[in-house]
Amino acid sequence: MTDTSSIMTKKRSYGGLTTATVAPWVICTVILLVLPYVFQSNSALTIMNQMAITIVFALAYNMLLGQGGMLSFGHAVYMGMGGFMCMHVMNWVEYENIPLPLPLLPVIGGLFGMGMATIIGSFSTRTAGTVFAMISLGIGELIAASSVIVVAFFGGEEGVSGDRTYGLPVFGYEFLTKIEVYYLTAGWLVLSALLMYLFSRTPVGRMANAVRDNPERAQFLGYSARWVRFYSFCASGFFAGVAGGLFAINFEILTEENLNLVTSGSILLITFLGGVGFFFGPIIGAIVFTLLQSVLSLQTELWQLYVGALFVLTVMYFPGGLAGVLMMHVVPYKLGKLGTLVVPYIKTLIPAAIGILGLASFCELMFHFKHAAVGEHDMSLFGIAFSTHSPIPWVVIVAVTVIGFWLAKRNSVELRETWGNANVMTPSKEGGAQ
Amino acid sequence: MTAALELEGLRKSFGKTEIIRGVDLSIGKGERHAIIGPNGAGKSTLFNLITGRFPQTAGHVRLHGHDLAGKAPFEINRMGLSRSFQITNIFPRMTVFENVRCSLLWSMGYKYSFWNMVSKSRALNEGAEEILEQINLSNRRDLPAGVLSYAEQRALEIGITIAGGADVIMLDEPTAGMSNTETDYIVGLIEKVTEGKTLIMVEHDMGVVFGLCDRISVLVYGEIVATGEPEAVRADQAVQEAYLGAALEAEH
Repeated sequence: MTDTSSIMTKKRSYGGLTTATVAPWVICTVILLVLPYVFQSNSALTIMNQMAITIVFALAYNMLLGQGGMLSFGHAVYMGMGGFMCMHVMNWVEYENIPLPLPLLPVIGGLFGMGMATIIGSFSTRTAGTVFAMISLGIGELIAASSVIVVAFFGGEEGVSGDRTYGLPVFGYEFLTKIEVYYLTAGWLVLSALLMYLFSRTPVGRMANAVRDNPERAQFLGYSARWVRFYSFCASGFFAGVAGGLFAINFEILTEENLNLVTSGSILLITFLGGVGFFFGPIIGAIVFTLLQSVLSLQTELWQLYVGALFVLTVMYFPGGLAGVLMMHVVPYKLGKLGTLVVPYIKTLIPAAIGILGLASFCELMFHFKHAAVGEHDMSLFGIAFSTHSPIPWVVIVAVTVIGFWLAKRNSVELRETWGNANVMTPSKEGGAQ
Repeated sequence: MTAALELEGLRKSFGKTEIIRGVDLSIGKGERHAIIGPNGAGKSTLFNLITGRFPQTAGHVRLHGHDLAGKAPFEINRMGLSRSFQITNIFPRMTVFENVRCSLLWSMGYKYSFWNMVSKSRALNEGAEEILEQINLSNRRDLPAGVLSYAEQRALEIGITIAGGADVIMLDEPTAGMSNTETDYIVGLIEKVTEGKTLIMVEHDMGVVFGLCDRISVLVYGEIVATGEPEAVRADQAVQEAYLGAALEAEH
């Protein structure tokens, strides 16, 4: 009884900026500012820029998928169109001497992306389900196909390229170096992410969730589900366009690749991998995917196989994505039982990791055995050189894989048990918690 | 004085089957009106016609004298009519508080705005808290609506329905599938939150109907066979033959 009355009388403060809401933003901004001092090489900067662009794009995509319940198979169109427009503007700035500072370019990309979204959204957002998905797929294919037809805008097969350094210098910066571009991109990342977050807190953003959950009920609350979807779609198009503008600034070239279904598919994959249920999910997805893409692809030709397997496993076992996996630990944390999970985690995950590496090694060995040049029998894995035509590496790899998985499976029983205990309040503690 | 809701020669056919076969009904402001009838009589269809979920085949529906023909559900809602559903229809993945807050947005004039922060509006949040208190769900505030018990979900649905401040409230079997105590609780709730409003409800539980409503209409095979005050309807010969007799006998 005292419990409920305390809730009733407790004054809630609305809209105040609290440490809990501001801290993540401040921390992330600081990390973005410091990162270039930690990773100074040019290739690291390229990867980080790529990551930032993907984050903006994935967050924009999640405005549809996670918050609006719209599955789009053609979202690359809005990023690509924004990017192409920015390349043209960049060239006009160069040839016509238009005094446009480079940092404003993404706004143009955004507006163009939003313009496209306004046109397409006017008919595609009528329903959310299969019809929306099919229209997005059709439009995606259509625009990608027109890239070789409308050469004046898309530049045909070689795309459109330009030079970002002709813009109006901003405080003396002409964006010649990677580091300057990094800070420009990072600035836009923080700004776009913040705006997208705030959008989700507005009436139309809240209703996007309502329409996702139950479009019919939303209609009976005075909202047209179609208009709510349309506004989300336009906003998403804007930020996708911003991502396109950032891409144009970073790579100074856009091609058909930026529009096609592969790009659309991978952003779906990234967003889902990160987790559609939480605002920060796509950020994690974009970081992990970009790392896999850039780091793993240097190590092995089979990286796409591994990314694909990761995606399938995520969809099957963790539909909440990586963010969902992280947030699963909030309950044990609140109950103060996170510590009990450490040992079972180590005992399960390390053998599992060994098993996975073993399985990957087997794939690599197989691939090398089948596809290496004739007579080329030597390969090395994890710094160990051996011949693919001797039985020893095969036996070792299979044994390591089997033992790894067997141990993981055996120890997972304990993990599951601890997990169950960590998610319920122990009776003795319950009295104290009240 | 125009009636709150007026039906005139309302008909609905699905293919060759006529489900609603000419319904005339006038419900005054502030009246509590129940529509009862055997299964398959077309009660829910009638509700769906009134609220614009289906288009009618013929006839008129007037809300405060305005014809609702061709209006979409969201337009009808904006004119001051709100409804609940026979099958619980809430936003399961959003919190209880969010459910209620969303249902307040339109009536508080926020429309499709993307320049207001919902958390900043004192009126909006306090209004939502107030409704939560009315429906006794304050202590469930931050739970996802989908995890509530059945009775709580029904209460939430009623909360969502009345939140927008509509003056005509339509409830489709609000006590369906509930135990006796739960039914008492919901009936008390309905009485409380529809104070001074026009209430139209479909209900199977005769106890609820006779206790709560000012007038009753009996719908049998798409036609209204009787309308009147509870006692008069109970005494009506045609009603007893068609429907009530069996139901009353079953109660004893």
